Amino acid sequence: MTGNNTSLQTAPEAKIAIQTIGLCKDYGSLRAVDKLDLEVPEGQFFGLLGPNGSGKTTTIHMLTTLARPTQGQAFVAGHDVRREGVAVRREIGLVFQESALDRTLTVAENLRFAGLLRNLPTAVIRQRSDELLDLFRLSDRRDKPVATLSGGMRRALDMARGVMHHPRLLFLDEPTLGLDVPSRRGIWRFIERLRRDEGITVFLTTHYLEEAEECHQVAFLAKGKMIGSGAPKALVQSLGTYMVEIESEHIETIIASLSRRLGPCLQDGTKASFRIQEEQFDFLDLQAELGNRVQSVRWRRPNLNDVFLWINDPNLSGSVVV
Amino acid sequence: MMWRPVWGIIEREMVRMLRQRGRLVSTAVRPLIWLVVIGSGFNAMLGHIGSYSYHQFLVPGLLGMVMLFGAMLVSLTVVYDKEFGVMRLLITAPLPHYWIVVAKVISGAVVAVVQAAAFALLLAPFGYVGSEVSIGLLLLGLVATALACASLGIVFAVWSSTLDNFAVVMNFVIFPVFFLSGALYPVQKLPDVLKFVAVINPFTYGVDLLKHALLGSAAPLSGTDFGVLIDVAVLLGFTVGATFIACLRFSHESAAGLLQFLQTR
Repeated sequence: MTGNNTSLQTAPEAKIAIQTIGLCKDYGSLRAVDKLDLEVPEGQFFGLLGPNGSGKTTTIHMLTTLARPTQGQAFVAGHDVRREGVAVRREIGLVFQESALDRTLTVAENLRFAGLLRNLPTAVIRQRSDELLDLFRLSDRRDKPVATLSGGMRRALDMARGVMHHPRLLFLDEPTLGLDVPSRRGIWRFIERLRRDEGITVFLTTHYLEEAEECHQVAFLAKGKMIGSGAPKALVQSLGTYMVEIESEHIETIIASLSRRLGPCLQDGTKASFRIQEEQFDFLDLQAELGNRVQSVRWRRPNLNDVFLWINDPNLSGSVVV
Repeated sequence: MMWRPVWGIIEREMVRMLRQRGRLVSTAVRPLIWLVVIGSGFNAMLGHIGSYSYHQFLVPGLLGMVMLFGAMLVSLTVVYDKEFGVMRLLITAPLPHYWIVVAKVISGAVVAVVQAAAFALLLAPFGYVGSEVSIGLLLLGLVATALACASLGIVFAVWSSTLDNFAVVMNFVIFPVFFLSGALYPVQKLPDVLKFVAVINPFTYGVDLLKHALLGSAAPLSGTDFGVLIDVAVLLGFTVGATFIACLRFSHESAAGLLQFLQTR
């Protein structure tokens, strides 16, 4: 598997798993997704990020043939989502925001049902169920009704169900939504193992931006529009080496004096956050300059959340290039 | 072919039917109450109809009732699936969407036939089932009536987005369909307006076909109103028509897919 991956990465042209061209979706007069252009190479771990209501789920619905695009085109595994719905659905696995399990059935019965819907022979279903229940640590729950499972276990079973048929592409819509921290970590481990063991392309949406740092590539959505994209590390680095967050009653005067030296800032009420570009920045000097005019000063490394906030702020548009 | 996904959908309905004990019990108890209470009351008043007791006259209608409820409850799972997210699993399976509707109709019919056959076996030792039973005709009657009931349920199910919605509709459908069908009284004795309603009610033909099977068509007073062929034709015609409409409604894709499917035949 690892050998294959390396050869794929060094190949001059990796195959495209997902491509959208000017993709739009209207719900009545509301434009949920606006002229989206995406390109996801095969084998990639791709994250579509943005706040709730930014059009992430609508995009997944269009790519998985659950919703028809109003305008534009989308190809998944080389098939047109409008005209070749069945062919698209054959290639993909899908884990929804809400569980799609039948609570009256047991864990094994749910996998069997999903396998039969995917036209798998029963022997294959049995073998694959064993394998996945083992991977997702659900083997001891095999004959328990789904209603008795915890939220994290249900999500794990949902994911097992989504990859029963060895899909080439896996869509995960907010896979960690509503889960506690240990379950969330568990889900990320499963995603990691699925990618490693099965080499599938993963298309993920999440609004927990810090969770997407493992992605090869992310795209930010806001109000249906793509406002930036790139590799998480490069995006974070392009923002700066540090973020300085200052809280003060006199934030306006502080901004006026600091922005000459540090450039534009992101302001939220009495808080402002500046980007620091130099690796060897003199924080003591800054502290002395601010003196006792502040409630708090804090510096830290930037993350994807900062990237989103900076590129999404209309006052800062143009100051950050992604 | 789509037999594995279709079988998966049928199997799930069978498992659910057997697992929900309350549903299984009420399936048998409801018609038994009718048989014992209404049946005995009318029997005392009317005595025999032709060579049959009113109880025996009532049995075909009650088999129909078992199937009407059984099939409707499976149709209800379409709405249940929509509400609990399983529908998303179904519509992202790699099969044209009209197969989901077709599979649900078949599942409803299978569940209904199993329940009605079990009910008939339950009644047989007590002499409620006539002696001239034609097994072949009975099976045909069960299957055709079950299909018609299931497709009737599906039409309402694809239009309902919530369970509440569906429950209201069902109350306005199940009871009129049952009462105005010849299940309780021969259609030819009804006043003209009600007779007209009974004649356009597909369930009437199901009950009539079951009367042919259980009561025999020889005795003119036994209560059959139409010929066997007419009954079968109406039931199957209704099934195809209703399923087709449900498929059209179910999604844009199924409408287009079904037309394509018909063109390639």
